[in-house]
Amino acid sequence: MSAIYLDQLATQRTQWLNLRQSLIAGNVSNANTPGFAAKDLPPFSTVLAQTQVAMTATDPMHIAPTPADYAPPQAADEDGANSTLSGNSVNMEGEMMKLGEIGRDASTVNAIKKIYHQMMLSALK
Amino acid sequence: MIDPLKASLEIAGAGLDAQSTRLRIISQNIANSQSTASVAGGDPYARQTVSFDSVLDRSTGVDLVRVKSIGVDESPFKLELDPGNPAADASGYVKMPNIDVLIELADMREANRTYEANLQVAKQSADMMNQTVSLLKDA
Repeated sequence: MSAIYLDQLATQRTQWLNLRQSLIAGNVSNANTPGFAAKDLPPFSTVLAQTQVAMTATDPMHIAPTPADYAPPQAADEDGANSTLSGNSVNMEGEMMKLGEIGRDASTVNAIKKIYHQMMLSALK
Repeated sequence: MIDPLKASLEIAGAGLDAQSTRLRIISQNIANSQSTASVAGGDPYARQTVSFDSVLDRSTGVDLVRVKSIGVDESPFKLELDPGNPAADASGYVKMPNIDVLIELADMREANRTYEANLQVAKQSADMMNQTVSLLKDA
């Protein structure tokens, strides 16, 4: 954990949001695919809880952990309660809600990043 | 896997593609809902169906939707008594396509809704990318 932790936190949050966005995109585009199981990410708190002091990557070949390593995608509807006759478990309304949530969170994180960046600049000048 | 936001644009694009193919088949079905055979007693236009599948795209490493197959509806044709029709058989019955326009219209609405949803995802992904770029603009 670096001294300037907020930047790393915001980056992790953005990575998590981007990954979730791609999962939602997959769910929406497969909304009519028979047998498709909807996927989602575990909450961001899971990522935070599992984030520990990571070893520094000193070589380009080293693999740096991303939020996806701490919280891999899982089935959104594990008991299949929402699945249709064709075995598809995508709930379109729910996906659109999640999409809105991601959009709002992404702008929040970006606004925080912007302010933080301004603070850094004003300290430097 | 490539950048997740780029991936979601790809995925949404594949979704748009699949749904527009579906829309093409639906319009083909509606347009041919009265198409009879050209010979007496022959089979008319048979309703076509679209089936989707999720496949791994190797260049991006994500699951994309694609049209798995365009099939033919095996349900029986409707028989109509119309002795004057050139496609009528010996007893005067004409085989009409097994198309219910109401079902096609309902299917069209669903395709339309899914298309819109994919478009929304694509818009938002592009928007999130723009937001990140705009961080650099007034730095």
